[in-house]
Amino acid sequence: MDLVAGRAYTAERRPIRHLDPVLLVATAALAIVGLLMVYSSTRTALNALGLDPGVYVKKQAAFLALGVVVVLLMTAFDYRFLKVYAGIIYVASLALLVLVRTPIGSTVRGSQRWFSLFGFQFAPSEVTKLAVIVMLAALLSELRSRELSLSDVYRATAIAALPALLVFLQPDLGTSIVIASVLVGVLVVAGARARQLGVLALMAVVLILGAFQLGLVKDYQIARLTGFFDPQNDPQRTDWNRHQAEIAIGSGGLTGRGYLKGPQTNLDFVPEQHTDFIFTVVGEEFGFVGAIGVLLLFGVLIWRAFRIALLSKDPFGTYVAAGIASMFAIQIFVSVGMTIGIMPITGIPLPFVSYGGSSLLTNCVAVGMLLNVHMRRFT
Amino acid sequence: MFAALTTRLWFLQVLASEKYRKDANNNQTRTVDVPAPRGRVYDGNGNILVDNRESYVLTVNRQMAGDHEEEIIFQLSKLLGVSPQELASRIEDPRYYVYSPVPVAVDVPLRVVYYVSEYAADFPGVDIARIPVRTYPDGSLAAHVLGYLGQIQPDQLEDPTFAGYEAGDLVGITGVEKVYEHDLVGTEGYVQYRVNSQGQNLGEIGRREPVNGNDVYLTIDVPTQQLTEESLALGMKAARGIVDAATGAYLKANAGAVVVMDPRTGAILALASSPTFDPSTFVKPLTNREYKRRFGHTHNYPLIDRAIYGQYPPGSAYKPFIALSALEQGLVNETQNYACPSTWTAPYNENDPRAVQYPFHNWTTADLGYMTLARALWMSCDTVFYPIGYDYWAIYYPPPWDDGIAGNDNEPAKEPLQKDLMASGFGELTNVDLPFEQAGRVPTAEWKRESHQAHPLAFPGSRWYPGDFVNMSIGQGDTLVTPLQIAQAYSAIMNGGRICVPHVLEEVRTPGGRLVRRNRPRCTDRLPFSQQEIAYVRNALTQVPRVGTAAAAFVNFPFSQVWIAGKTGTAQVGNKQDYSWFAAMTNAQGKEYVVVALVEQGGHGSTTAAPIVRRIVEGLYGLPQSGFFGDSGTD
Repeated sequence: MDLVAGRAYTAERRPIRHLDPVLLVATAALAIVGLLMVYSSTRTALNALGLDPGVYVKKQAAFLALGVVVVLLMTAFDYRFLKVYAGIIYVASLALLVLVRTPIGSTVRGSQRWFSLFGFQFAPSEVTKLAVIVMLAALLSELRSRELSLSDVYRATAIAALPALLVFLQPDLGTSIVIASVLVGVLVVAGARARQLGVLALMAVVLILGAFQLGLVKDYQIARLTGFFDPQNDPQRTDWNRHQAEIAIGSGGLTGRGYLKGPQTNLDFVPEQHTDFIFTVVGEEFGFVGAIGVLLLFGVLIWRAFRIALLSKDPFGTYVAAGIASMFAIQIFVSVGMTIGIMPITGIPLPFVSYGGSSLLTNCVAVGMLLNVHMRRFT
Repeated sequence: MFAALTTRLWFLQVLASEKYRKDANNNQTRTVDVPAPRGRVYDGNGNILVDNRESYVLTVNRQMAGDHEEEIIFQLSKLLGVSPQELASRIEDPRYYVYSPVPVAVDVPLRVVYYVSEYAADFPGVDIARIPVRTYPDGSLAAHVLGYLGQIQPDQLEDPTFAGYEAGDLVGITGVEKVYEHDLVGTEGYVQYRVNSQGQNLGEIGRREPVNGNDVYLTIDVPTQQLTEESLALGMKAARGIVDAATGAYLKANAGAVVVMDPRTGAILALASSPTFDPSTFVKPLTNREYKRRFGHTHNYPLIDRAIYGQYPPGSAYKPFIALSALEQGLVNETQNYACPSTWTAPYNENDPRAVQYPFHNWTTADLGYMTLARALWMSCDTVFYPIGYDYWAIYYPPPWDDGIAGNDNEPAKEPLQKDLMASGFGELTNVDLPFEQAGRVPTAEWKRESHQAHPLAFPGSRWYPGDFVNMSIGQGDTLVTPLQIAQAYSAIMNGGRICVPHVLEEVRTPGGRLVRRNRPRCTDRLPFSQQEIAYVRNALTQVPRVGTAAAAFVNFPFSQVWIAGKTGTAQVGNKQDYSWFAAMTNAQGKEYVVVALVEQGGHGSTTAAPIVRRIVEGLYGLPQSGFFGDSGTD
């Protein structure tokens, strides 16, 4: 008998025996690809400045080590505790989103969305995504009836909408989209009917139009969108980013230019190539083969997440896993899609691959939660 | 979702990969053209006439400036100290396309260069390049010979000889710059850089060094050119202090030309045209208005090279060739005496009873008695030459005359005077190696009829009259020559009859000094006169400065040291003051020269042109300068 988180288990039921190795391996592989890509995309620029070319990748590796600890921590307790503290977690994340708007938060390039802590930047909107997932899962798992009523949908929507709005105001359109997608994903898994989702869609349209009307949407956001839909008329040249990204990926060809040999990457032609546009490095240096390989790893990640949602022994675990699966799926689709010109440019990092501590740790938390649900499916 | 991503990746990376690979290559390299300095221009002794210097040139690309054009003009205006209106009109220079950079300032100060580079983002479409531009160490010296550069013209771009030139390239517009364009032009080089997205230079990956154009050495001699321009200017200035007897007003003397030639080869040692201009003006941007103001009517069109483009009646400077033709045709002989009365009237012709019997005047009202042809030349007696002209009519134009011209079937043979004059180089291009040369005119019966048919108002008469020959005999009527033609023809008298093609090119050398080619004198044509006839006229002309019409201008000239012969000319042009000519041939110290001067509205030949020539001759042989003195009033 072992004592884990205050419970007694028989040997065959010990959670550690029920880790999901496929998920772990896929995640680890993506993280390693990420380190390689971060190095490739930052090396020449740092060299040109006379700095250590490995400084970014070392930082990212440190975060990854921290991420491993986080994964372990997230598996150490029963995920059902999260349901108990869901309200506190949710309110705390909202508080952070409000705090970041005060002078405590720092402004980078017109967006106020980070806290600076000990030289590290921490984006509370990353926490928000997980807080929303937990809160939605807690809400939907405690419904009285088996059927999802319209008022349940409204309540769930309200829970997602509030942080989504705060994030949108930072402005961080990408995270707002992720939160909206998580909502839809969780609702679908919870058995929402097409009619209910239709009502939701209508509300979204009204809200978006209202946001434009009230001038809440920044000019550059509009420019990115119009630049996407009408590349000929692109006054702010946001299309340039997309064009350079397409050149990088397209010139990679079937098998790529070879690691560290992509000229577009080396000459820094793609903006934000170590963060939001990191998929261009994959595409250029490893070609179609490498790009599909990375997409397959993501496919495994999402497949395992949905599998965990199915295997979960309680609805809370199911909704948490489904929310996380939705979160990963939309991030991957948008982040990859914008580099190949099928999605408008919104700043969304590619999970585990893009440079950035907050994002990496958040994703590690998410994977930890998935493992937790998987591990404890028998207990 | 994955299907969408995969499909798109397949398209980008497999189907369209080639295109993107090309784009990627273009992304990484920037090719910067490196202009090649043009060849330099030297005089015969290696004195530099046209050199290159580096200059910062600021250009504005209107298309790239776009909406910011006004703002940029305003900013540049403050930086350059040029009014916004001025800058705007420079940018709108019609010689440039909208999408090509227009130079708006040359010799931009370093302060501005730094400022514009530092705040490049505020100056879209503005570029500063360090390029070689022309510089003229001697200022306006020999400007008409050297010429200047300008934007290549659209028709030149289509010309196969200009293959490889691009719109916006500078080419020679006039002078040596134009004629020897293909020697002077260099081969543009380039440097290829790897650049990143900010356009930062990450190092060079290839280059082709520009190749300088070849250097051109001219027959022009800098000290002679200086002497010539100075003498022309001083002589014209002196003339403007002289009252013209005919009009009672000061001589205008507002334009002129001088040619100094080596009669043995046709090499042009100096060529001056007044008014002149500073070729460095064309290095800087020029607005249309400025161009018109500087080079238009108010400044008497200084860009015109009057020595080769100006066509004037030669007046008496033509007489040696009339005399030569008449000797050759047997109309006169060397020893007979001819009457030189104050007027001459054509004899009554029973075949042409309607002909008006009006008198032709000599240049002086005195009856100078009887004289030989030689004396008639040095005294420039018109009334000796009128009957010669008339004889060309009486002998070679037999009746009937009703159709305007006689003997239609064998016409040229019937015009021996015109034939001789054309064989002496008149009415035809000399083929000098300078652009825009004019041919002058030797009028013929056919020319007169055709001109009348084409332009009845400008040429009222269609029939060839005896008076046409009479006028031609003293270089008037419809006769036109260029100063260069006169120099060529007098050179032929001087050298025993060889007609040499005038030229300014001595040789072409590579920038390293290796000879590319040497310009050999071409003297294949000959005067259609015998050596004896030529020697007779040449000897007669030696008396002109001694005791003839130019004697007043050559008082105290050291004839014992310098052999000199010459001829004055006083040409009537419409109702203007007379045009002053003097053509001289000299030989001393083993050096031979022909010096021809023409001054528009300069009065008599001896008044303005002869003193200019005398001053040049004195300078050429190192004699003391006698300066300019008063009017002599002879032909």
